[in-house]
Amino acid sequence: MRTKKGLVSLLLTIMMLGSILGGCGSAADSNANSQGAGDSTKAKAEKIVFAMPSFNRIPSDIGRVTDAINAITVPKIGVEVDFKIFGPADYAQKVNLALQSGEQMDVFTTLGQFTSYVSKSQLYPLEDLLEEHGKELLAILEQDFGPDMLKSTTLNGHIYGIPVNKGVSIPTNFVYNADMLKEVGFSADDINSVEDLPQIFEAVKQKYPEVIPFGPVNVNPSDPGLILLLKGMYEADFLSDTTGIGAVIGDDSQVLNFYETEEFKSGVTMMREWFNKGYLEKDAATTSIAFSDMISSGRGFSYMASYSGLEAAKALSAQTGKNLEMKRIAPYYFETGAVNMVSWMVSSTTKAPEGAVKFLNLLYTDEELINTVLYGIEGEDYVKVGEHHVKYPDGKDASTVAYTAMLSTGIVGSESLQYQLEGVNWSDVELKLQENKETKKSPFFGFIFDPSEVKTQMSAVTNVVNQYLPGLVCGALDPETTIPKFVQALNDAGAEAIIKSKQEQLDQWIAAQNSQ
Amino acid sequence: MTTTTTKSKGPKKTLPLLLLAVPGLLYFIVNSYIPMIGIFIAFKDINYAKGIFRSDWIGFDNFKFLFQTSDAWVMTRNTLLYNTAFIVLGTIVSIIIAILMSELLSKAFAKVFHTSLVLPNLISMVVLSYLVFAFLNADSGFINNSILAPLGLPEINWYSEPKYWPYLLVFIQLWKTAGYGSIVYIAFIAGIDKSIYEAAKIDGAGKLKQIWTITLPLLKPTIVILTLMSIGRIFNSDFGLFYQVPLNSGALYSTTQTIDTYVYRALMQVNDIGMSAAAGLYQSLVGFILVMLANAIVKKVNADNALF
Repeated sequence: MRTKKGLVSLLLTIMMLGSILGGCGSAADSNANSQGAGDSTKAKAEKIVFAMPSFNRIPSDIGRVTDAINAITVPKIGVEVDFKIFGPADYAQKVNLALQSGEQMDVFTTLGQFTSYVSKSQLYPLEDLLEEHGKELLAILEQDFGPDMLKSTTLNGHIYGIPVNKGVSIPTNFVYNADMLKEVGFSADDINSVEDLPQIFEAVKQKYPEVIPFGPVNVNPSDPGLILLLKGMYEADFLSDTTGIGAVIGDDSQVLNFYETEEFKSGVTMMREWFNKGYLEKDAATTSIAFSDMISSGRGFSYMASYSGLEAAKALSAQTGKNLEMKRIAPYYFETGAVNMVSWMVSSTTKAPEGAVKFLNLLYTDEELINTVLYGIEGEDYVKVGEHHVKYPDGKDASTVAYTAMLSTGIVGSESLQYQLEGVNWSDVELKLQENKETKKSPFFGFIFDPSEVKTQMSAVTNVVNQYLPGLVCGALDPETTIPKFVQALNDAGAEAIIKSKQEQLDQWIAAQNSQ
Repeated sequence: MTTTTTKSKGPKKTLPLLLLAVPGLLYFIVNSYIPMIGIFIAFKDINYAKGIFRSDWIGFDNFKFLFQTSDAWVMTRNTLLYNTAFIVLGTIVSIIIAILMSELLSKAFAKVFHTSLVLPNLISMVVLSYLVFAFLNADSGFINNSILAPLGLPEINWYSEPKYWPYLLVFIQLWKTAGYGSIVYIAFIAGIDKSIYEAAKIDGAGKLKQIWTITLPLLKPTIVILTLMSIGRIFNSDFGLFYQVPLNSGALYSTTQTIDTYVYRALMQVNDIGMSAAAGLYQSLVGFILVMLANAIVKKVNADNALF
């Protein structure tokens, strides 16, 4: 009896230990199967996997579109494309999984994780191949952005990515319900900087006690756009990472902790005043209800966010069903991270680097390919209504059409070659490209911080920032007492080591720039 | 039935039984033992150009981030205390429910109750977090508006006051899991020989006396085994409970941060599989040591109740 029970117990123990250790994970190897179109050319064509994030509904069958893409790429460059689409929530995970498991993944993008891919040697250096196969690509970047765009993705002389070629200058805008603004006796001309806002909030609060005058544009974690506003107002450069530990302000090359600066303090003190006067919701720092929902239900008045061009409010009005307008209240400032935020990259393990670069070249310069990727097949998924404009076929919209990736327009290729939806003013696209050239660049534009030697500290400070920042930027925490605690916790987590490492790398970078 | 008699029956008799075990064994080999090879990743600086096997060894560097912050103590304390509370209170509440359920005479009622006990366990943590949000929301939540306001008490900003969360989280966890946990006990109590109770009744023992002297002593081995199994996971926390339910609110970190949420938050940015492997190994190792210790103690007290 005793032994039998012992055996059963042993099995249970094994089961338990197994489930504990099971989390370590193993590398699964599976080959991507293709459904290419090239028949006779298939043998010769190089095969690449191209993965794109889509913010639209993911269609169940993209074989048609893959065929249409291959009908362009196989004759033009001899490359057969295996096209994959993932939603924004699992895109990075799917790509990382493919890279880690050795599954084929050649051309992919990132939303802000460029540095992390570089520091883990996951990227293929492109400079030589671009010289050979990317001449048109280099030309269009120069034409739409200016000469320096690839500086933001160049590290130690190697080009590791191609930033998306669009209006990347995104000044801070004040977005508000225009009907309410008129009712309380103000007009757009009264809004010129962030100092003009409190009087408007006060008036809104008096007239509509049920309405919350101001809310965070992003929730979970809450972000009212304050940091971007401050970066634009004070010309702060976060030196290619998002934590804010190790920033420079203006032309001074002294690396500082942004959260210790007077600039940050004045910003959060302003938010604290707004919060105390009741311009923000009491749980603004922790709410999980997007403020755009508050606006569309009529309970919210305004928020701050970054948009390129001047036409974004039209789309926002359509989304929320309210008459929204926007007004610029701070300029934008080009730091490295702002330009390489969305970049297309080639994996370091690719077996077809030439094919990948040829494909990238086409993806930035071929109008037909760009718009097939975005809008699908003409006549079936969209109808052309002018030189630059398209609409969905009659009776269809973005959610019922067989294929569209319209919301990925900010992610793929060159904005100057993309079709726009009917009703969007084409001059806005031209304005965006013009602003690319006019927006002020940080003197340290092109510096990329390699965090690998302080990654322990980076992971620790990220946690501290998550803990304190949402409460501070929403005014829920008192800056007088919280900032010292925040800074202390950052220092405990190793902020000084990050700043020191950044300063060393920046000094080296400056020396290298000067010697050129 | 001892091992010697089993052996003497020869391979012919035991072969079918061994075959029965094959699918289970395969499952564990494929899903649990082969992945264990990956433990070495915790000691490497993963570089994709070199490949996983050729990356440099870096000793214990990957483990450092777990102890880097002043929060290291807080998250370890939270993980251990919450899990201890869940084990102790969960066992007590489950047993109470089980005893009450087994005293139900009406079969129809018993069915309804059994089903409703399991239901909370089927609700996903994300859905649950919104149920909780409906109660605790500062502006329109049930507790602030329908309980505190009529009583004339000041509103509480639940999502920025860490001091309430230990109670809230324990309550939520019990609400969700106690009913499900009681099922094992209900089954066990149903299996107890009814004649023992009848004999006790004839001897004049009341209901409480019967529970105290018959049900609980007979339940003891089950309680010990289930508790030992939970101790193995004492360093792991339910990510959904600690991340989703407090809505990832920074102000609550002091009472809601556990090792799992810390690892998730820290590595979202850095995205380093070496460090995540290190965290997993650390949790498993401490769990393993605690199980061995707890088992040794049980063995000392009563050898029959020990797992192995």
